[in-house]
Amino acid sequence: MDAKKKGMTLLAKQRAAGWAFLTPAALMIAIMSFYPMVRAFMISLQKGTGANMQFTGFSNYQRILADKVFQQSIGNTFLYLIIQVPIMLVLAILLAQLLNNRDLKLRGLFRTCVFLPCATSLVSYALIFRSLFATDGLINSVLMKLHILDQGYNFLGNALSAKIVIIIALIWRWTGYNMVFYLAALQNIEYSVYEAAKIDGANGWKTFWGITVPLLKPTIIMTFIMSINGTLQLFDESVNLTKGGPANTTITMSHYIYNTCFINVPNFGYASAMSFLVFIMVAVLAFINLKVGDTRD
Amino acid sequence: MAGEQYAKDHPGFSVNVIETSSDDCQTKLTTCANAGDYSTMPDIVLMQDNSYQKFLLSYPDAFTDLSSMDINWDDFGALKQAYSMKDGVHYGVPFDNGGCIACYRTDVLDEAGYTVADLTDITWSRFMEIGKDVHEKTGKYLLTSEAAGGDTIMMMIQSCGANWVDDEGKAYIAGNEVGEKCVDIYAEMIQNDVVKLVNNWDEYISTITGGEAAGVINGNWITATLMSTEDQKGLWEITNLPKVDGVDSATNYANNGGSSWYITSNCQNVELAMDFLAKTFGSSTEFYDAILPETGAVACYLPAGESTVYNEPNAFFNDQPIFATIVEYSSHIPAFKSTPYHYEAREAVNTAIVNIVGGTDKAAALDEAQSTLEFKMTE
Repeated sequence: MDAKKKGMTLLAKQRAAGWAFLTPAALMIAIMSFYPMVRAFMISLQKGTGANMQFTGFSNYQRILADKVFQQSIGNTFLYLIIQVPIMLVLAILLAQLLNNRDLKLRGLFRTCVFLPCATSLVSYALIFRSLFATDGLINSVLMKLHILDQGYNFLGNALSAKIVIIIALIWRWTGYNMVFYLAALQNIEYSVYEAAKIDGANGWKTFWGITVPLLKPTIIMTFIMSINGTLQLFDESVNLTKGGPANTTITMSHYIYNTCFINVPNFGYASAMSFLVFIMVAVLAFINLKVGDTRD
Repeated sequence: MAGEQYAKDHPGFSVNVIETSSDDCQTKLTTCANAGDYSTMPDIVLMQDNSYQKFLLSYPDAFTDLSSMDINWDDFGALKQAYSMKDGVHYGVPFDNGGCIACYRTDVLDEAGYTVADLTDITWSRFMEIGKDVHEKTGKYLLTSEAAGGDTIMMMIQSCGANWVDDEGKAYIAGNEVGEKCVDIYAEMIQNDVVKLVNNWDEYISTITGGEAAGVINGNWITATLMSTEDQKGLWEITNLPKVDGVDSATNYANNGGSSWYITSNCQNVELAMDFLAKTFGSSTEFYDAILPETGAVACYLPAGESTVYNEPNAFFNDQPIFATIVEYSSHIPAFKSTPYHYEAREAVNTAIVNIVGGTDKAAALDEAQSTLEFKMTE
């Protein structure tokens, strides 16, 4: 009776406190993230240039089916994804494993060095790669000094080499970033587990596959999802390194969406529709990833 | 500077100038317009002429009708006026001249046995002959050009008074006779080392500063870039463009870029803004004389070209009076059908050219460009 008079039981109080803590963050997410998403979806159902928009239904989504350049950009983006992400993550695990060695001297220095590329801004590193691989850039000068090439090779002017340059740039920029996650996870694995394995006669390779990889699995799944998400939204490298060229062979989806809004005659309806498609792709891939990674019975 | 001059006769007047890159200016306009809130826009903005039609189509309410302005519009070339007009109404005061010039390194030409006179009033096929010869003898390229965002092909077709759209503004790349001739010549020049095709603007500039390019063809604003290479002082000379062979309407003149002033719909004192523009950019030769030496900004305002400042010899260009020459060239530029889809057309055609040079069949590449542009024009 007393409790009722006061209005709240202890449990209700705790719940209220919980809600009080949650509400500000939840509201922020709703306003800053969910509202724009809903709004973008509404815009994707409209057509027209600039400010003269009217409702059109799903015609913008149909339009994607006829857009060869956007389809090309999907192809390019997935090529980066399929080649770059596995290479990068394998490298990151190997580096993390090496740098986790307790007997290694100057561990801190090496770790910093590998992580350092992440501290550079996306635009500046893309510009640096652009000048490195220019016809009269450092890479060409070195190759010419070594007499491997007679004259500068136009790395960014050829479709295949331009794609390779982008992939190399991405690996350089992001490997250290992923390595840090693996390092953190590795440090959570008890050293005694490895010692036990050693006593049982497991060699390094066996320990790696039998202990390290399974215990790292949650982290591997997380980095996979983050990398997929990041690669599908790839923008700076395409814009600053190659401008999407030559002849749209390196353009990414986000770059094309940006062009649709800010370089060409603005078509925000269509751009929103394309953005939504990217969103769906990320969601589907992340879902598959979680399902495949989840081996609980 | 314009503000200072206007303030002489109008005490208490001052202008707050914000410098923003052209791309950022346009991004800002797009953002404001889509949000439906122009309150963060300044009163007067300078915009690229090539972008005007796109914004007039997309955001007509961002601009102020300048019909009531006290200005003699015919003091500007017809083409210059047309860039910032829609349905016969003026939305911009032309300022920065985009008249094209061909600049050549006289020392390189000399080495190959040519003079700038040999490159004046010529056709592109003659240009190609000389270019091959120059490359053979000196290893340099007679022209440097950007692959993706390149303007060379646009200047070529527009020098014929044509464009990649027809009179109704529809995509006109496949079957465009004038256009095909331009593409033929351009692709052949790339394949024959007459043109150095580079990937981006930095590389474009470095072909000039590094001395790899013996020639540059672009809007006259390129002189500012050239003049920054002190060691090449006195080696450059300017002349008119080559013209396209076998086209009746072909000329040796074209326009590339340039810009005009517009008054935004956020302007609280439209009358003052109009008067300010009219008294400075719209009618004052003294004003243009004053800004030329400091900024190198060549006027679209035709009477400005007659002044002595414009006729002074320029030491960088071997004592040619380049500014008066540029204004004179501008008066010969043929008008053409401009389009809001300027950048889309340029990209589609440049993509086709890269593919043609890479071995794709010409007709197929142009057909693809046609369908790309048609696609962009639909909603």
